[in-house]
Amino acid sequence: MTSLLEDLRERFPEQVRASAEPVSGQVTISLNGPDATAVVKHLMTEYAARLASVFGEDRVAAEGVFYNYYVFDRPGDASWVIVKAPIPADQPSFPSLAAELPAVNWQEREIQDWFGVEAAGHPNPRRVALHDNWPDVHPLRKDFALGTVLPPFEGERHVYRPTLGEGVFRIPVGPVHAGIIEPGHFNFAVAGEPILYLQLRMFYTHKATEKLFESMPIPRAVFLAESISGDSAFSHATAFCAAIERAAEIEVPARARYARTILLELERIANHIADIGAIATDVGFGIANAHAGRVREMLLGLHETLTGSRSLRGMARVGGVRRDWQPLQIARIAPTIDAVEREFRDLVALIQSSDSTRDRLEHTGVLRPEKAKTLGVVGVAGRASGVDLDVRRDHPYAAYAKLEFRVPVYQAGDVRHRMQVRIDEVGESLRIVRAATAALPGGAHRAPAQPIPPGRCALGAVEGWRGEILHWVRTGEDNRLERCKVKDPSINNWPAIVEAVEGNIIADFPVINKSFNLSYSGTDR
Amino acid sequence: MMARLIEALAQLALLVALAPLVTGVIRTLKARLQTRRGPGILQPYRNLRKLFGKGMVIPETASWIFGATPWVVFVSTVLAGLMIPMVAAEAPLGLFGGALAVIYLLGLGRFFLALGGLDSGSSFGGLGSSREMTISALAEPAMMLAIFTVAIGAGSTGMTEIAGAAIGQTWRFLAPAQMFAFAALALVLIAETGRIPVDNPATHLELTMIHEAMILEYSGPYLALLEWAASVKQLVLMTLLINCFWPVGLQPTWFNFGALSGIGWLVTKLLLLACAIVLIETTNAKMRLFRVPELLAVAFTLGALALVSTFLF
Repeated sequence: MTSLLEDLRERFPEQVRASAEPVSGQVTISLNGPDATAVVKHLMTEYAARLASVFGEDRVAAEGVFYNYYVFDRPGDASWVIVKAPIPADQPSFPSLAAELPAVNWQEREIQDWFGVEAAGHPNPRRVALHDNWPDVHPLRKDFALGTVLPPFEGERHVYRPTLGEGVFRIPVGPVHAGIIEPGHFNFAVAGEPILYLQLRMFYTHKATEKLFESMPIPRAVFLAESISGDSAFSHATAFCAAIERAAEIEVPARARYARTILLELERIANHIADIGAIATDVGFGIANAHAGRVREMLLGLHETLTGSRSLRGMARVGGVRRDWQPLQIARIAPTIDAVEREFRDLVALIQSSDSTRDRLEHTGVLRPEKAKTLGVVGVAGRASGVDLDVRRDHPYAAYAKLEFRVPVYQAGDVRHRMQVRIDEVGESLRIVRAATAALPGGAHRAPAQPIPPGRCALGAVEGWRGEILHWVRTGEDNRLERCKVKDPSINNWPAIVEAVEGNIIADFPVINKSFNLSYSGTDR
Repeated sequence: MMARLIEALAQLALLVALAPLVTGVIRTLKARLQTRRGPGILQPYRNLRKLFGKGMVIPETASWIFGATPWVVFVSTVLAGLMIPMVAAEAPLGLFGGALAVIYLLGLGRFFLALGGLDSGSSFGGLGSSREMTISALAEPAMMLAIFTVAIGAGSTGMTEIAGAAIGQTWRFLAPAQMFAFAALALVLIAETGRIPVDNPATHLELTMIHEAMILEYSGPYLALLEWAASVKQLVLMTLLINCFWPVGLQPTWFNFGALSGIGWLVTKLLLLACAIVLIETTNAKMRLFRVPELLAVAFTLGALALVSTFLF
């Protein structure tokens, strides 16, 4: 750990200042100026580090600067590396990395929109989070009050890349869709049926979540974290709690760590099964979805038994879990898991026996491994395209260090393999739940409540069922937060859909989209 | 003259009244096979009543074609239905045209449906229209070849003669030509009624739709007419299939005491065909759009084989 810092200091004596705030499981490297390019490149080439997230923070009132944070993950090392670059308030600009690292394209533009800090040299510096018709405001700046009422939106509409050429048409889809789907705009250019290119527009469900985090006491903020993306309620809440626990150095009791593991895996199983059914529906194989719905219902019943909520809400808590389980509740886990496993095996057999389904899924929506790597794709979509990442294995949290599981990785990157990753993971998760239930230790289910010290920065990471969820917090006075950055895996993966659909026919878009199944709410926050 | 009129009215009533029921039965059977309860076989009637009671939203860009389409589609489909034998071999409007008239009346409806889809100015409508035209350009010849096969046997393209010639020959459908033609027409039925594996009538995904995409901008009474017409078309094609190839229980004329048993047989045969459709829909996924032409090429080949084999056997 120190070797990394020493190496960087030796190599960039002008730029690297010191390691700040030693917090377990993460290395923070402070820079002297806004230009992080050289350090970022060095980390990526010499240490094969992956840039997981880029985000900003307004510390103008306290320290007279904005900060940019670059979060890295190194293969074979469980600690996160966070590079912190100050940006002077009177010259709010930093050199953009997006031209060389497409993965940070949206995230750098978010910094521009939220903080008014310019990403100089960005190849496409237009707005992404705040839509074009917003006035010139920067909502995550501290001088922007939460309750601010803005005048009715005026100004220009978003201009899409023109659709030109003989027989080339534009098909705008959304933001409001048929069915129970969140809002997002898809702008297709098609030549007949084949898709030439797709332009995405998100952030229709922006709810100022990161700003809201700054307005409430930490125990209440746990509930806010649960509602970032409703299908990952427990994963997001756990990532948030993990960040707070790391910041305040709270030791989570073993029983709580196992309980968290069980709930996280149950969330994964239920969502994967729902996705498998939904992929089948999108190719018109409704019977598989009917069975998937039935199996998922068995799990949702178990969720309710264990937490009182079918979507696992109200169970997360800083320092552990909110309620302890009675022996009767625990006794329900094993039989349900056995039944789910039996039924799930039948469901998989049903889908695999359908040649017509297989024909629709194979070679559809191919995301090539090199593209996936360039775009920083994570989670299920990444593992289907050769990106071998899993926070559970790479940065163990909860009880994962003590449990055995396999991380399925495929190279094909088509819809069928995104489904296969889910199928494999359900099998692994069932094993994890079984093992964790058998090994569930006694003792306290939570650490005693304690005030959270101010001024601590920490990262919490959880492998949600969709992929890597990151929460970064800076604690404040009175048990509150100065800043909470939320990174849902969807924000990495949306641009991958653009790559995956190219050359496919437009009638296959829904199933390709479904095989990624990204969260709009988690993206937009 | 009077008798003809009553015949026509009776078949008209049967056609428009029975069609939503067939749709309802198929949906309910499908739901049961998917372990769902389903909304009940009468739901299509309730839908129609609801839609007829609603207001309409008409796109600003639409011309008169948009408003004319539901009427043209409904009337042409019902007229086609009056030209085929349902309960009796004698088709009420058989004097006005035979098999070709039926095919082209359905074609007229489809033509206007595609125009209506384009006229709405929505990109989905255009998408649906282009897909529908691609598919029907292949489905229509296959259907013609299949019907010509049975027409050759009867020596006439008049539907009355075709059905009349088949009466009494219960096992005729085992002849190779008949089997090929039946298979061709069955594939056309699936394509023309927008069922899996060609189109998915239950989807909400605009980008995958064919028939539903064309009528996406329609609402209220217009939508009711179009949905009703779609049910009638389905009934017409199903009746055509069962009465041409398996005329068991078909009466020579409407006016004899067998009319009731004729209706009974019709309903029984429709039910059997509905079961077959439901089984196909449940056990198959929807095809990739670009493979649909291959399926219809199979239908066309089967139709051509049928025609050739009438002369061979």
